[in-house]
Amino acid sequence: MTETGNQAERQPAIRTRGVTRDFQAGQQTIRVLHGIDLDVCPGELTYLVGESGSGKTTMISIMCGILWPTDGDVEVFGTDIYSLSDTDLVNFRLQNIGFIFQQYNLIPSIDAASNAAVPLIAQGMDRLEARERAVAMLDKLNIADQAGKLPNQLSGGQQQRVAIARALVHEPRLVVCDEPTAALDAKSGRRVMDLLREVGVAEDRSVIIVTHDNRIFDLADRILVLEDGRITHDGTDMPEDH
Amino acid sequence: MLWIAIRMLTGDKQKFYGLLFGIAFSTLLITQQLTIFVNLLERGASGTYNVSSADVWVMDPVSRTTDVAYALPSTALDQVRGVPGVDWAVPHLRANASVRTKDGDLEGVAIIGVDDATLIGLPKGMIEGSTDVLSQPDSVIIDDVGAERMFPGQSPIGERLELNDQRAVVRGIADAIPSFTSTVVLYTKYSQALRYVPGTRNRLSFVLVGAADGIDAKSLSERIEEQTGLKAQTRDEFARDGVDFIIENTGIPLNFGITVLLGFIVGVAIVGLTFSLFIRDNIKQFGALKAIGVTNGKIAQMVAVQAGMVGMIGYGLGVLGTVGFISAFSNDPTFKGFYIPWQIPLISFAAMVLIIVLTGWIALRGVMNTEPAAVFR
Amino acid sequence: MALLPENLSFSRKILPIIAVAGLLLAIVFIWNGLPDRELSEPENEPPRATGELANSARVAGAGLVEPSSEIVDIGTALSGLVSDLRVQPGDYVEKGQVLFTVDDRAVRARISETQAAIGEARAAISEAQSARATAQRQLSLYNQVEDPAAVSRAEVIRAQGDADAANSRLKVARARLSAAQAAAGSARTELGRLTVRAPMAGEILEVNIRPGEFVSTMGGSGLPFIRMGETRPLYIRVDIDESEVARMDMGASAIVSPRGAAGEQVEAKFVRAEPLVVPKRSLTNSASERVDVRVLQVLYELPETDGLFRVGQQIDAFIPAKTTNTKKAGQAKPADSEAEAQ
Repeated sequence: MTETGNQAERQPAIRTRGVTRDFQAGQQTIRVLHGIDLDVCPGELTYLVGESGSGKTTMISIMCGILWPTDGDVEVFGTDIYSLSDTDLVNFRLQNIGFIFQQYNLIPSIDAASNAAVPLIAQGMDRLEARERAVAMLDKLNIADQAGKLPNQLSGGQQQRVAIARALVHEPRLVVCDEPTAALDAKSGRRVMDLLREVGVAEDRSVIIVTHDNRIFDLADRILVLEDGRITHDGTDMPEDH
Repeated sequence: MLWIAIRMLTGDKQKFYGLLFGIAFSTLLITQQLTIFVNLLERGASGTYNVSSADVWVMDPVSRTTDVAYALPSTALDQVRGVPGVDWAVPHLRANASVRTKDGDLEGVAIIGVDDATLIGLPKGMIEGSTDVLSQPDSVIIDDVGAERMFPGQSPIGERLELNDQRAVVRGIADAIPSFTSTVVLYTKYSQALRYVPGTRNRLSFVLVGAADGIDAKSLSERIEEQTGLKAQTRDEFARDGVDFIIENTGIPLNFGITVLLGFIVGVAIVGLTFSLFIRDNIKQFGALKAIGVTNGKIAQMVAVQAGMVGMIGYGLGVLGTVGFISAFSNDPTFKGFYIPWQIPLISFAAMVLIIVLTGWIALRGVMNTEPAAVFR
Repeated sequence: MALLPENLSFSRKILPIIAVAGLLLAIVFIWNGLPDRELSEPENEPPRATGELANSARVAGAGLVEPSSEIVDIGTALSGLVSDLRVQPGDYVEKGQVLFTVDDRAVRARISETQAAIGEARAAISEAQSARATAQRQLSLYNQVEDPAAVSRAEVIRAQGDADAANSRLKVARARLSAAQAAAGSARTELGRLTVRAPMAGEILEVNIRPGEFVSTMGGSGLPFIRMGETRPLYIRVDIDESEVARMDMGASAIVSPRGAAGEQVEAKFVRAEPLVVPKRSLTNSASERVDVRVLQVLYELPETDGLFRVGQQIDAFIPAKTTNTKKAGQAKPADSEAEAQ
């Protein structure tokens, strides 16, 4: 979709070079990632697709700064995040990255708007002001009327939209989604993805989605296929064999 | 974030109330048992504390408590009076006697003979009558708990008793803290008490001493011991002796110690289990928060606030329960004079803090060890 | 808070409030419930050493008030019924003043009898005298007749005998008079003994007889008939524990207060210490009292105090300890005396 020249001009949202990750399983050392070099461009909706055990969860964890690579460098918007101190890394995530989890991981005892406001609150914003911003974000996601409900009073799609609101409320430059549609039926999943694309993708924001839900592959700007710790496909469409 | 922490805590009502119950129950158990324990022990000192004006008690060197006393020769009073720094000294007699009530029942009583002229040795307050009634012949003043025990449901005033073949008429009720054994206590004048108690060679149990202005009771007691060769204890020392006597001669400390320990263990168990269950339930949320960008310090604060809130409320309710218990039973003669020493809530508070810190720390370790990456699995 | 699902949360608002309120309540309860163990001043003044003695070495003792003469129990020399009682308790009598009299009718009758005997003796004397005079005259008549034949020798001898007999009769009569007079004197003395008089000036402390009662020289009910003593001044007899005696400043004045009025203190002058150390007489009236303590009795003279002290009253006394002793020596001393006592 985007031209190569254009890509070179712009700083990549994520640049990984030689990212390797080993896991210790008993006496054995298993290499999950084999030196991945990857550039993710801003303004794109990038899919990371792969079978279970292909290393896609490890890859995305490393890319968003919550899992240390065994080897290699990760730059997010030009910052070598694994050279930051622990606290700085945490703050970097808080300022720059939005997370959407498969299980939503909403806090059950606070209402939707407060859940959506968590990153702002964590940044130190006044709770009520944060909540107003969160309600505005929920409004963009068309569930402002559910703002006062507790998560368990909402449907799955609504919960995921609250989760999206939480990921976007503090205007992060990178949004990371783990299987956002896995727990949703086709229709809800589709609607969630439409909204995510509509609200989440912006000029200077990059969205990475880990998924193997083929129902939504058509929404991607770029699809990366990961197999056995190596990127085997990089294109705008899925290869036929998938 | 702390607001979120509190919401997380109170959101799960079952566990929240479980935690509250655990804390409140062990606070109640520890506070209440310690209170009863301390009060029971202080029953051993009631004889000392009932005498409000004596700075120093002088006794035979072998005497141990108000009830375990070996009599002194009567000149001991004058010897004590001769010690510099002694403002005044009066005789005090304590002895056990059997009394025959009007119905012919036999009841063991403690006879306390107070100084004839000054009535030093009587409890501070009277419930009925005045201390002047002792100037009437054959008068005794009964203590309130003893009155309830000896004359249940009726006024003891005017009742006649027979003591050592002598007539004794109850003419007043004193407001006194009962002794450890709740023995009926009859107060009378020293000279009268001599007649009520079957004779032995020496009768004077104690010499009560008031210190002159500016004289420290402790140094005065040392001076009395040095000059007279008798044993002199300050009021606090002597009260302590009474308590020690009970500690040495009964199983109370062990029993109550076990109960308090049980309270502590129950508290740790309930609170620890519930709190770690609560944390485990919320571990995914904590993981998500860590991934989003909440520092470990902040997470620790959240857990601390949760633990603190549960602890504070539970402790408050537990102490309230203890206060309720003590005040509800304050009219019962068994619990007469029971009070909560201010140190005990502090002790149970410390125990509570220990429980909270212990369980909170264990729970927190789980949260701290959670890899934020776990949220993607 | 309108944005919250419920405005008032029981768990988050009410419970903490209850807990805090409970804690405050508990604090108030605990504060108010703390037992009153403040030391209080005794309501009635206990006996205490004051002034210079308050904080210096001293010896204390209990004692009794007694008359300076000690108590005199008045008895009677003769048994009999009390016919007249002249005093009552509290009277102050002079030496020799009549206290009471015992029935004297028998003695008076004897006096009358002796009077009669005296009269009779006197009559016998005068009769004897006249008889002697007659005999003397007759004898001298015979002695004037020079002619021996005029009077027979027998006549002369008879007259001589008459004169001698009259003389003897006179002597007898005189002796009878003396005897009768002696009897009268004896009866008068007895009359005097029936009147009991004060042996000294003093105050009547107790009277146990009434007119008409029988008083016996053997003592009667055990009570003395009248007790009196010199109460100007009063003395006090203070018992000092023998182990304390060594510390005492013999000769110093004592501070004395009566039982029950410890605030009223007077200074009493030293009189003497009894030479004999005696067993402590307990003042507790217990019959079965046994003693193992001996005391030295020391007498002090009370000043004039208008009824504050009365004979027989118990007192508390404080006496200075020896001034030669420093404070330390004074404290070391009792240990020695204690050892001696044991």
